Amino acid sequence: MDFGKIFLVLKREYLTRVRTKAFILSTLLTPLALVALMAVVIIVSTSGSDSVKTVGIIDETGVLYPRLEEINAERYEDVSMQPLDSVKAHVLSEQLDGYIVLGDSFIDSGDSPTLVYGGSGGLSFIGSVQDELRDAVRDERISRSNVSDEIREIFEARPRIESVKLTEQGEEEDHAIFGAALGFILGVLIFIGLFGYGAVLMRSVIEEKTNRIVEVIASSVKPIELMLGKLMGICVLAITQFAVWIVSYIGLSIAAAPIAVMIFGEKIDDLNSTATGAASSQGFDPAVLEQFQVDPMIFVYFILFFFLGFMIYSAIFAAIGAAVDSEQDTQQFMIPVMIPIFMGYMLNMKIIEDPDSSFAVFASLFPLTSPINMISRIAATEVPFWEILLSIVLMIGTFAGIMWLAAKIYRVGILMYGKKPSYKELAKWIRQS
Amino acid sequence: MDIIKVDSIAKAFGKNLAVNNVSFTVQKGRIFGLLGPNGAGKTTTIRMINNILAPDTGSITINGIEASPQTQKMIGYMPEERGLYKKMKVGEQLLYLTQLKGMDTKSAHKAIDFWLDRFDASDWKKKEVGELSKGMSQKIQFIATIAHDPDIYIFDEPFSGLDPINSETLKEVIIDLKSQGKTILFSTHRMEQVEQMCDDICLFNKGKSVLQGDLRQVKSSFGKNTINLEFEGDGSFLDKLEDVRINNRSTNFAEIRVLNGQNMQDILKLAIEHAEIHKFERVQPSLNEIFISTVGEDNLKNQEA
Repeated sequence: MDFGKIFLVLKREYLTRVRTKAFILSTLLTPLALVALMAVVIIVSTSGSDSVKTVGIIDETGVLYPRLEEINAERYEDVSMQPLDSVKAHVLSEQLDGYIVLGDSFIDSGDSPTLVYGGSGGLSFIGSVQDELRDAVRDERISRSNVSDEIREIFEARPRIESVKLTEQGEEEDHAIFGAALGFILGVLIFIGLFGYGAVLMRSVIEEKTNRIVEVIASSVKPIELMLGKLMGICVLAITQFAVWIVSYIGLSIAAAPIAVMIFGEKIDDLNSTATGAASSQGFDPAVLEQFQVDPMIFVYFILFFFLGFMIYSAIFAAIGAAVDSEQDTQQFMIPVMIPIFMGYMLNMKIIEDPDSSFAVFASLFPLTSPINMISRIAATEVPFWEILLSIVLMIGTFAGIMWLAAKIYRVGILMYGKKPSYKELAKWIRQS
Repeated sequence: MDIIKVDSIAKAFGKNLAVNNVSFTVQKGRIFGLLGPNGAGKTTTIRMINNILAPDTGSITINGIEASPQTQKMIGYMPEERGLYKKMKVGEQLLYLTQLKGMDTKSAHKAIDFWLDRFDASDWKKKEVGELSKGMSQKIQFIATIAHDPDIYIFDEPFSGLDPINSETLKEVIIDLKSQGKTILFSTHRMEQVEQMCDDICLFNKGKSVLQGDLRQVKSSFGKNTINLEFEGDGSFLDKLEDVRINNRSTNFAEIRVLNGQNMQDILKLAIEHAEIHKFERVQPSLNEIFISTVGEDNLKNQEA
């Protein structure tokens, strides 16, 4: 094996592709999309609920409106003084989004009041009106029924779940949902990378065949050297792209919170100082952005698993490219590649849901799905180191086996033109060489 | 000195025996022609000499070294199916191909500039190959073959697809290379080029070498058994001749190969009776005739066997 020649092939493969417009654009535009995504997160978290809807209250009890006003002053408007017809007219003319007539019977017997609304209601709108009304009615009934303070406290308490993860370093704040989402995204990125760059490699092999330059190259370089050089060249290309993305992601995740404070500073201060109770939870909290900062080790694993997965799959892609004369002929051979790679992609969602199940462990160790599924698990949960190590060893072994077969097909295929071979003929090529 | 030594090589693809026990040697400083019909095993043999394929049995040595990556550097090879990277610039492409042959960057740049200049192609250096005309890219292909200054040049069907001008240029370059002491092996089925250029030939048929040696000796071994006849008048008498094979027949010319030691005077008599004879000449058979008769006899022999 002449590593100097492998390097020459690698260099050509890399340099001719890294300079193309398509590569530069996709590499640079993705971080921009990421910036846009973060901006959306900030905007959504600062603006809280999207639109403010106003509900007119015709309060016949005289006590429920003040309670509703206390809960959500923006939403409720006292229209008790107006005649019902004009309230209806306001709803139709969209000055009000709806109205509720509250009578004593709701406090006494717990009947359901009716929300009359015009235009679009929206589930969350109706749901929150229902919750707030229920709270108001309940509070009124508690205060009337003369119960002890203890019971009152029980009703006022609103239990929420704070999730805290126990690790060896002690308790840490857990961003379980974010971890799962990150795991899913990283898995999908590897899937896209394996598939996309595998196809780039395959086309590159076919191109050398149809250009007929491959015989000139074969008179200077061993087929296995050419194949490895091409594999590595495309792999370095993909890693270049991922590295740009990772660096911009890390940079953004560190810079996002301070920048957000700078831009939205006043608004945040407003919200924090004026809002009380339920309203403050809708305010912007820079900590939302801080959870985007992740352990850089995860990116090291990401590159490692992509690299190993790419070596396995691209060896197959290269063999397919060598076996055919044109891209149209590749389809029948794509099935064996597509099945495991799509399997990994589809299992990914399940694995995120329960990353510690034995099923997830199996999928993350099985060498054809582990490039996609292991990285998802690493991001979503604590994976024992031995599992990571085992999956790496299994992938290296698989690569060696697949490379051994693929190189034989490649060697015969690059000089073979004409009819596209059947699987039987491929087996013959393997035995022949 | 034997610069290429092919010793009883054989190569099979599945059940098809593409090359069957072939041996020949190529001497330093000579032009060696590999002839034969399509599918005779020429390209397979050439690929084995270039270490692209390995023979199943037998051995190939270049300068006494077994065919290997080391010997690949000594050879400049232009395959029959030519091609370059369309999206790559001429200069970068030549540099890449030359470096793959083991030349260092600096000498490669120098050699490429020299050859581009010699072929009036210096302006194309920054152009992509896809922008070039066919003739231009053929020149670039040729430079890619020779830029690393090997001792041995192997061309598979070099004249196929060339226009007459490029064809003539190529011929000149080959003869020029020979005068510098380089060794050239090429395959072709264009006989007139072989007659003009080759020192030695090897004729392939169905995977076997059926005739080989110094071109002059091969021709003289066939003896002066051919008549070049120029005439005017009705040529139909030629059809009455028995035990002859007529090549190159036209309205007033025929190349008549006389078989079975027939008396040529009888043919002359017949000719005089039917037409006005302008020329009657006893010559060595043309290479074309040798080619056809040897391959034909060989095929006949195979059928009987």
